[in-house]
Amino acid sequence: MDAFMAFLTVFSHPELLLLVGVGTFAGVYVGAIPGLSVTMAVSILISFTFSWDVLPAISLMIGIYMGGVYGGSRTAILLNIPGAPSAIATALDGFPMAKRGEAGTAIGVTTVMSFIGGFIGIGVLALAAPFVSDFALTFQPRDYMLLAILGVLLVGSLSSGSLLKGIFAGALGIAIGAVGRDPLTFTSRFTFDLSIMESGISFIAVMIGMFGVSEALLQLQHVNKASIRQKISRIVPSLKTVRKHLPLSMQTSTIGVIIGALPGTGGDIAALMAYDHAKRVTKNPERPFGDGAIEGLVAPETANNAAVGGAFIPMMTLGIPGDAVTAIMIGALYIHGLNPGPMLMVDQPDMFWFIVGALITANFFMLLFGLTGIRLFTKIVEMPRSVLIPLIMLLSIVGAYAVNNSITDVYWMLGFGFFGYFMRHYGYPLGPVILGVILSRLLDDNWRRAIISEREDLGRFFYGIVTSPLSLTLFIAVLLIFVSQTPIWSWGKAKLFGRKQGQS
Amino acid sequence: MKKTVFGAVSALVLGMSGAMAQDYPTKEIQGIIQWGAGGSTDTVMRSVTPHAEDVLGGTIVMQNMTGGVGAIALNHVAGQKADGYSLLMGAENPLLYKVMGLGDKDYTDFTPISILALGTPILVASPDAPFDDYAGMMDYINEHPGELRMGATGPGGLPSVVTAMMNTVEGDLDVISVPYDGDGPALTALQGNAIDVMPAVLGAAIEGIRAGKMKPLAVFDLDANDKLPDAPIVTSFNADYSDYLPWGPFFGVFVKKGTPDDVVTKLSAAYAEAAKSPDFVELMDNRGFSMLAISGDEAEAFLNKWQQNTAWLLDDAGLTKKSPEDFGIMRPAEK
Amino acid sequence: MTHPDTEHHDGTSDATPGGVEAARRPGELGFAIVLALASAALLYNAYGIAGFEALSSPGAIPMATTLAMLIAAVAIVVKTARLPKITGETLSRDIFPTAAIVFAVLLLGYGLLLQPFGFLPTSALFLIVAIKYLSKRSWLYTATVSIGSLVVIWLIFRIVFTVLMPAGIMPEAEFIQFFRNMFQGAK
Repeated sequence: MDAFMAFLTVFSHPELLLLVGVGTFAGVYVGAIPGLSVTMAVSILISFTFSWDVLPAISLMIGIYMGGVYGGSRTAILLNIPGAPSAIATALDGFPMAKRGEAGTAIGVTTVMSFIGGFIGIGVLALAAPFVSDFALTFQPRDYMLLAILGVLLVGSLSSGSLLKGIFAGALGIAIGAVGRDPLTFTSRFTFDLSIMESGISFIAVMIGMFGVSEALLQLQHVNKASIRQKISRIVPSLKTVRKHLPLSMQTSTIGVIIGALPGTGGDIAALMAYDHAKRVTKNPERPFGDGAIEGLVAPETANNAAVGGAFIPMMTLGIPGDAVTAIMIGALYIHGLNPGPMLMVDQPDMFWFIVGALITANFFMLLFGLTGIRLFTKIVEMPRSVLIPLIMLLSIVGAYAVNNSITDVYWMLGFGFFGYFMRHYGYPLGPVILGVILSRLLDDNWRRAIISEREDLGRFFYGIVTSPLSLTLFIAVLLIFVSQTPIWSWGKAKLFGRKQGQS
Repeated sequence: MKKTVFGAVSALVLGMSGAMAQDYPTKEIQGIIQWGAGGSTDTVMRSVTPHAEDVLGGTIVMQNMTGGVGAIALNHVAGQKADGYSLLMGAENPLLYKVMGLGDKDYTDFTPISILALGTPILVASPDAPFDDYAGMMDYINEHPGELRMGATGPGGLPSVVTAMMNTVEGDLDVISVPYDGDGPALTALQGNAIDVMPAVLGAAIEGIRAGKMKPLAVFDLDANDKLPDAPIVTSFNADYSDYLPWGPFFGVFVKKGTPDDVVTKLSAAYAEAAKSPDFVELMDNRGFSMLAISGDEAEAFLNKWQQNTAWLLDDAGLTKKSPEDFGIMRPAEK
Repeated sequence: MTHPDTEHHDGTSDATPGGVEAARRPGELGFAIVLALASAALLYNAYGIAGFEALSSPGAIPMATTLAMLIAAVAIVVKTARLPKITGETLSRDIFPTAAIVFAVLLLGYGLLLQPFGFLPTSALFLIVAIKYLSKRSWLYTATVSIGSLVVIWLIFRIVFTVLMPAGIMPEAEFIQFFRNMFQGAK
């Protein structure tokens, strides 16, 4: 009964309700601007809400978090520039839709699916948090490494052009992620003895450059072409559409919750894995993936919003952050005199239920703000390109600088902008580069931890994999996906099922 | 409206002509935090600074500048004017940059405003570990050489110093050192049995210990900690540790050397006052830090001693890139 | 894969990247060769990190990835070299047209001026020149749009998010403190 009252706290206090609403609204816009991140917004809020009570402060932060994760999809759909790394996969099918004038439909689907994903994430948090966090803790370094390899194999589904070029791009991304002082031993890697290389290359700078600046440079060739008029009559997707994609969204939300709950992986990896999953299980999309498939929006958006609830699971049950934002929230709880840790759920279960309530409220606000004000957003794409292009470039510069207050990041961003421009011209996919950068540390650090723990002995390493059910499952998944991407698979499939099915 | 514009213009003129130190601060102060958002340095600085702002009557805009184990932020502040408008908010690491080959600048290029608090190291084990205290762990290492997995956070971090201490006192330990990029991820791994033992700062482990998710093996201090009175102190197992204790990581606020004395005094007073505020004291207490809040010569002496002790400890353990002697860091006097 | 609209091959959609599958665009071979050479250089550099010291060395994964890069890049060079040249495209018109060169110069200039000059003057200059060049509208229009949007961006990043862009010649911090004092005085 007490839990239920705590759960209702947000709804019974107008000022808390208002704060969640304001936070969500602000979050949508923060998330939409590349370079402004939810992490940044929440850490500023720590000082800002310092003198407040804990409940209002947390309400505002939760609103920003929920709205921000969703907001990244806006610019991904409208401008092909993901507002946040977790929206990279959304751009793949969202932007082709906007190019057809269907930005309204794309945003509508994205919003409803984010809502569904968010809800599933919160549901798992509320009902199964201790169970999921125990499961997350069983992940050993070798399991994280296998997960990263599974991620690297997504290169295949992210590069529909030439697979060779995709492999090159993915490997380049992993190498970019290794630049600078290695965080485990402080050895310099790829620094060429230059001090500016020491701190590495911010992956947000790479993302903004490759997607933002290179996109703007390409648009220069169409500067005089009239901008695409957007139809915004059918925003809310029909019940039929929602119902059709419900099974897929359940699966991708599950991916989101689990990846989100794992400390060290978050919504960005979840969204890309979900996209890959959708591509595998969807037999007959209305349009091919990459040309505006609805499934290509459903998967990443349900997954990254489900990852929000997931990230709260280790935070609430163990005091371990599920991602960067929950790490800051743990700091905020400390500042407000609470002791986040395994005892929080025991000592103060009200806090848990309050957070669940606030998350649900934020999810509803996200639906509300997501479905309204679309007209204003689509106006951005309808702006004359002669103004839009320079503005995108300026925002890219400020965004890259803002990540770490570093001019060096601006130079990297511009460099990768031009590099990405040529990559696009010559048919190299950009997605795998970002994927590589995101996965670089996960792969590298955990491979080393895993092999060090086994005393550099590959035999012991593989023995460890085959004797642990979790590792073995992941290992088999890696093998299956790898084989399915090589020619042997289609050959074997054609032999087994006849040519007709082998083609798809 | 006209008045506003006029005021703004005159403020600009005033600002440009260089205001007197007694008016300090006449503009926003930048606070550069060496570590990322959500880390312990970040939490400490973001909770003490609003109090200092009140005392100071100015605004301190805090920014996280990460990378290079904090060296990026340190070099940034060192590159600004010594006018008290750029504060460095950092932890103990810079004192080891020189010997670790991570940079050629450290806190000797800065004036301490306040050394806020000192942490206590503690050795924790996963609940499934086949031993319950420090002595049991030593027996286990002797019986199973090369089997115990001990967490680490890279050279110069707290675990490396504690490990160096253990190697010096107990003789070289045959363990596997598994590197993590912070004590947070390492303690998570500990709870999942990916590593067996981890030296960490008490504050980071305290909640896990209370919940029974970690076993405290030994507190690295001379006296029992009042937050964990039942956890044994390491000197009760081996008295030789007392040569190196108390030792711990700390947090501090710094300005570049050459900043006018009255500005330093004003800032020091503001942070000294801020460190007394009850909610800050409570926060530090909950996280198991002991308050220092020292400044001036006392702080300089503290930094000096800390650097001597730690640099030579690491050097003797063979973990340094360059000898402390090369930088004029004296070997601490024998006790 | 069929391309539903002709704009596709310029690469504005990432899922179906630009380029032409069955032909070689101007400069494509050169680009591939540069990538292959760079991969080789990076592989050599990765070897220099720790050599073949241990499976767990910090150089292990970098060596593996740069090797993958090199193999892929060499294969791309071979494949690209075999393709017939595309007809009707030139480097200066389709790949790196004047407008792109102008923006390359503008962005380079921006990068150089940002630190000494400061964010506000550099950005104002950049926006005015860029918008004037692209839109060819009146100076009044250009200036209004540029300054207007710059102020909005500055307010969001500098005031709300307290991102300390390089101040350069503008005494921003004094300016903001003045308004802050005035605001607090009025309370």
